Amino acid sequence: MAAFVVFGEALTLGLVSGPACMAACGPVLVPSLLSEQTGFRPHLRFLSTFLGARLLGYLLFAAGAWEIGTLVSMLPASRLLLMGAVNVLLAGVLLWYAYSARQICGPSCSSSKLVNIGTTKDHRVAGAAVLGFLTGFSLCPPFVAAGVRAAELGSVAQALLFFFFFFVGTSVWFVPFIGISCIARNQAVITVARMAMVLIALFYLSLGIAMLMGRKVYGY
Amino acid sequence: MATEACSPRLAPATPRSILRALLLTLPIAVWSLLMFFHPGTHTDPKSRIAATMTAVFMTVLFFMMMRTRKTYRWRRWFFVSLGILFPIGFIYNLVLARGTMGIPIEEMIAGRTPFCFLAIPLLIVPAALTKTIVFPGSITASGHAIAIMVGLWLALTLVLGKGWCAYACFFGGIEEGMAAIPPRARIRKIDPRWRYGPWAVLLAMVLLSFALFEPAYCMWLCPFKAVTEYVSARNAVGVLQNVIFIVLFAGLVILLPLLTKKRTQCSFFCPFGAFQSIFNKISIFEVKIDRTRCKSCTVCQTACPTMSLSKESIARGETLLSCMKCGACVDACPQQAAVWHIKGTEIAWKPERARLMFLYGAWAMAVMFGGSIIAQGLVTILHFLT
Repeated sequence: MAAFVVFGEALTLGLVSGPACMAACGPVLVPSLLSEQTGFRPHLRFLSTFLGARLLGYLLFAAGAWEIGTLVSMLPASRLLLMGAVNVLLAGVLLWYAYSARQICGPSCSSSKLVNIGTTKDHRVAGAAVLGFLTGFSLCPPFVAAGVRAAELGSVAQALLFFFFFFVGTSVWFVPFIGISCIARNQAVITVARMAMVLIALFYLSLGIAMLMGRKVYGY
Repeated sequence: MATEACSPRLAPATPRSILRALLLTLPIAVWSLLMFFHPGTHTDPKSRIAATMTAVFMTVLFFMMMRTRKTYRWRRWFFVSLGILFPIGFIYNLVLARGTMGIPIEEMIAGRTPFCFLAIPLLIVPAALTKTIVFPGSITASGHAIAIMVGLWLALTLVLGKGWCAYACFFGGIEEGMAAIPPRARIRKIDPRWRYGPWAVLLAMVLLSFALFEPAYCMWLCPFKAVTEYVSARNAVGVLQNVIFIVLFAGLVILLPLLTKKRTQCSFFCPFGAFQSIFNKISIFEVKIDRTRCKSCTVCQTACPTMSLSKESIARGETLLSCMKCGACVDACPQQAAVWHIKGTEIAWKPERARLMFLYGAWAMAVMFGGSIIAQGLVTILHFLT
């Protein structure tokens, strides 16, 4: 019964904080989805990869949160460094993604392969996975709240389950993103998406650098 | 056959008679008087002088448009004056009211900043639902006042489409003035993909605004913060924001227009321009290329200040979605193939009548929005001179 209450709490926390998660992931998710192939299948594949990797990020964070004890005890300087590093990495991946998406085929293309990033054929990875993983590390207020709660639980397994249910709750809000598959792709849409990605990457980069320099931005 | 039927237009545009031009100017003259001399205004001589100068200026320009049948060069006089006089009046009032151009972040969050029309597209839905403006702006009146303001903008935009950017925007004039200075462009070959820039900025800024719960464009990217109100540089982030504003202003509004003879900020960056472009689909007025006359010389393409014509669009007989109806291509075309057009009519159907119908609406808007700003700028100059 107690477990049911705790995981119900995680699910509810995820459901109510979903819009904040959706807004936080929007700048990463929308342009990258727009630079993929049109159609339901590629979008479903993209979103499941993105969310799967995000879950991995969540679970790693949950394990870390439980191991550290509580996020509150995490020094502000270390928190800034962590967020700065995540932002710089996110910016780098977005720039790479924008570059890799240049060869996307036109509307007649039947391939549903995702945009891959990487230097060689053997070391390529779906951009959606990397982006999902990095956004899974976002220290937004509901995420920190979930982290603090998870840290109070008795075992690492419980902390992981707590974050899993929290993830399920937030993921419901990502379903509408599948609607982007209705937007027909042409060179103009893909170019706009890639340009927007570069702009957003530059924003995250400046934010990340400021944080790495120890400057507080947006309360982090 | 169609060419023969339209052949009189191939003669150089002959000026109208003075009497006819005066008659056509009469409605605008009356409108200017109504706008600048309604009862209870101009209690001091400086504002009376400024109002008179503005009313005469706007009426004379319209008269010249009627007399010469040319649009662009006369509109440009108004537009550049607007661009120069807006910061003068605005900065003076800002310093008078606050003692500084820098606005602290807490003032912005509280909405105690001057209102900017760039925020309009982002406030419609929240204003309709909550009767408040979510973006910074000093209009804190009732929902009724907000509805009137948005309604006015919407009505004008539905009629004129992106004409707003050529007849009402008080930001575009500086770059248009800069673009007019050099005799020819130093940079002529511009990758057409830059035309997608405003859409990318719009997409990025809408998404970041949702993520950060703040007007990301106003906080980070607006080039015109350099000549209006800027973020108080109280920390490293504030300094960075102001550096971005100044670099964007210097690059997009000063340097690139000088090198390209194009309105580069409007063409490659302005998210509001992208939003306005959508309304070109609805507006009944447009500029078309009469294929029966066009010799594909691309003079219109070179003349267009916003790169709203491409070889492909000329071949299709139309301008791109970003056309702001400034009339540069119509005035430049040696074949008179670029014509003003009302949707639903045949392309060669009385283009001068279409121009007149468009110009009455556009110039009335110019007098209403731009005229009052010009008058305010003149009052400021008179204040310093006397």
